[in-house]
Amino acid sequence: MAFPCVRPCPRHVSAGLQVCGYATLSKASRPQEKSSAGPVFQYVGQNKKPTHKVFVWGFSFTGALGIPSFVVPDNGRKKPRKYQLTPYRLETAAQISSAACGYGFSLIASSTKDTSKLWGMGLNKDSQLGFQRTQHSRHQSYDYVLEPSPVALPLVKPLQTRVLQVACGRAHSLVLTDRAGVFSMGNNSYGQCGRRIVEDEVYSGSHIIHKIEGFSSRVVQVACGQDHSLFLTETGKVLACGWGADGQTGLGHHNISSTPVEVGGDLSGVEVQQISTYGDCSLAVSRDGQLFGWGNSEYRQLASVTEATQISSPRHLPLKGCGKVVQAACGGSQVAVLNDKGEVFVWGYGILGKGPNLSESSTPEMIPSTLFGRSEFNPSVAVTRIRCGLSHFAAVTDRGELFVWGKNVRGCLGIGKRDDQYFPWRVTVPGQVVDVACGVDHMVALAKSLL
Amino acid sequence: TILNCSCCELRKYIFPYFLVTGPEFRNIRVGVGHRLDAFSSGVLVLGVGNGNKTLNDLYRTRVTRDYTLEGEFGTATHDFTHSGGVMERSTYDHITQDKLERVLAMLEGANQKALLMYSNVDMRSQEAYEMAVQGLLGPEGKSAPILTGLRCIHFQPPNFILEVQCLNETQKYLRKLVHEIGLELRSTAVCKGIRRTRDGLFTLQDALTHHYWTAADITQAIRQYHSSKKHRKRSQSPAKKPALKTSEDVTAAQQNKANEEAAVGTIKKLVAETSS
Repeated sequence: MAFPCVRPCPRHVSAGLQVCGYATLSKASRPQEKSSAGPVFQYVGQNKKPTHKVFVWGFSFTGALGIPSFVVPDNGRKKPRKYQLTPYRLETAAQISSAACGYGFSLIASSTKDTSKLWGMGLNKDSQLGFQRTQHSRHQSYDYVLEPSPVALPLVKPLQTRVLQVACGRAHSLVLTDRAGVFSMGNNSYGQCGRRIVEDEVYSGSHIIHKIEGFSSRVVQVACGQDHSLFLTETGKVLACGWGADGQTGLGHHNISSTPVEVGGDLSGVEVQQISTYGDCSLAVSRDGQLFGWGNSEYRQLASVTEATQISSPRHLPLKGCGKVVQAACGGSQVAVLNDKGEVFVWGYGILGKGPNLSESSTPEMIPSTLFGRSEFNPSVAVTRIRCGLSHFAAVTDRGELFVWGKNVRGCLGIGKRDDQYFPWRVTVPGQVVDVACGVDHMVALAKSLL
Repeated sequence: TILNCSCCELRKYIFPYFLVTGPEFRNIRVGVGHRLDAFSSGVLVLGVGNGNKTLNDLYRTRVTRDYTLEGEFGTATHDFTHSGGVMERSTYDHITQDKLERVLAMLEGANQKALLMYSNVDMRSQEAYEMAVQGLLGPEGKSAPILTGLRCIHFQPPNFILEVQCLNETQKYLRKLVHEIGLELRSTAVCKGIRRTRDGLFTLQDALTHHYWTAADITQAIRQYHSSKKHRKRSQSPAKKPALKTSEDVTAAQQNKANEEAAVGTIKKLVAETSS
């Protein structure tokens, strides 16, 4: 039996960590050699940390994937790639800790204290990625940003602030920092940026990145709906601003609100631990596992409490058989919740994940855990994260696998084909998926390597 | 002529005519079940006489096989075994059980996806969803090797033992799998031994070792099997026919039928264990 020798390797081998290559080995089988012949290669040391990577896929012509060669090919022989149907690695300068996908654009942020901590790519017609100075003229901003470009946040102490989370809506985005509060940029026609609405404001080429005031305590989470914004403070209070025609602001009326106002209804006195929205319906999960919802209910998302098509004030949703809810995700016409046992429940309208026959449900339907990889060999696989895009779902399990299902809008599922997927399907990502962000027609996944 | 001493005993019970001479059994056709190569050991299914017809059914139904793979980190050889020519050696002290589990989870995920991809069902139908929930989706007939289960049962660097459940595999594929696990862990690995512990319904428990490949032992084994089957039938509820849901049940039913056809004194099946 050959045992690799533990004698000190020559310095150039251990320091370089490169593959030395096969020098003089021939295919003829030699008699088994005892240890001492030949070098021992060391590819990886004992203290290697996993590398963090970003993968993108979906519709690329808006630039939301951040790969310019898909839109404008490098050389004349290549053709533009309209749909990226499988995960593609996006090279980033720093380690990305948070990502968000909006309607045709994405924001990625790193939790570093360096000057560049936030990059944006995709549609910028409403300055949802800030002012992106063009090469030719310093007064003009790009309408489409094809590769991740730094967004300059107006921070008082830029080298001591970290970006915690980003969120993107239809034409606006929110950035949450650890000591400087929340910044918003983009379209403000409905007050979704939390500042006073200016009539006939031109949003394209705007330099305004507004620091939102009016919070009684520190904000710990932000969520963007289509044209409204939700904020969660550390005391468990929810504030909202923006368009309210469907009652998605939850302020009890159907008007616009241009500054964050605390949401009441059934949420008064309740400590909320997570908020979620993407379309016109909003959800909040309290610390003791109860679910509250408000906003649009045209697709029966809130049918457990009302037959009306909108609720303008949060109502407690009694979910039978769901157990303690730990996470909720809200899409355009469908809703998913995750309970403490790692089970996923879905309801609403659209492709819900239980085959083509179930296209709408007003009560929670559980998706069998065998579809997420549970079997006799692995009886304890559980889902740890769920996210919703406009018409699809994504779930990340504790083993680092990503499952997607729903409508495959322009290849946003990343399964290699453009067909809709009626039950959870694995996405082959090289690495363990840590987090995923879903947009309308594209997705961004944050992964780390196995080793 | 007398073959061996045990034949005398047989003669007492089966051949009452002491004047009969010659070999007891002539022109017996023996067929092989799923292939097991010279490097590996474990269960090998052989069909004897009329049992060859059952072998065709064994080929056609989708049965999984269980293997135990023994591997060792630190070397890479040209044929993925510990006795091949060494191509490269590398360190392995960075490998922990946790990292190995992660690599195995990744491989399992890829194989689960392959199971779905190779099945011929239309993914957009409700039937595909129902089958996926019950785990019945899979390839029919020939396909690339797929692992339906993979886990590590022993880890002591540099040695490790994996338990694998697979479909349509070859032993060379399994040795290559050990090599690739070594590569994924940024090191190298070779396979020291492969042992098939189960082939469909045939397990090590009922297997006969090479020493027992004689007519007497085989007939005794069959008799034991029949009597244990009767015991099992009596302990179960009467007149209970197994519902033919999975392909493994189909094999069992075929096997039972084939055995019931056996005339007294004809050898129906011979289960043997080869040793490497």
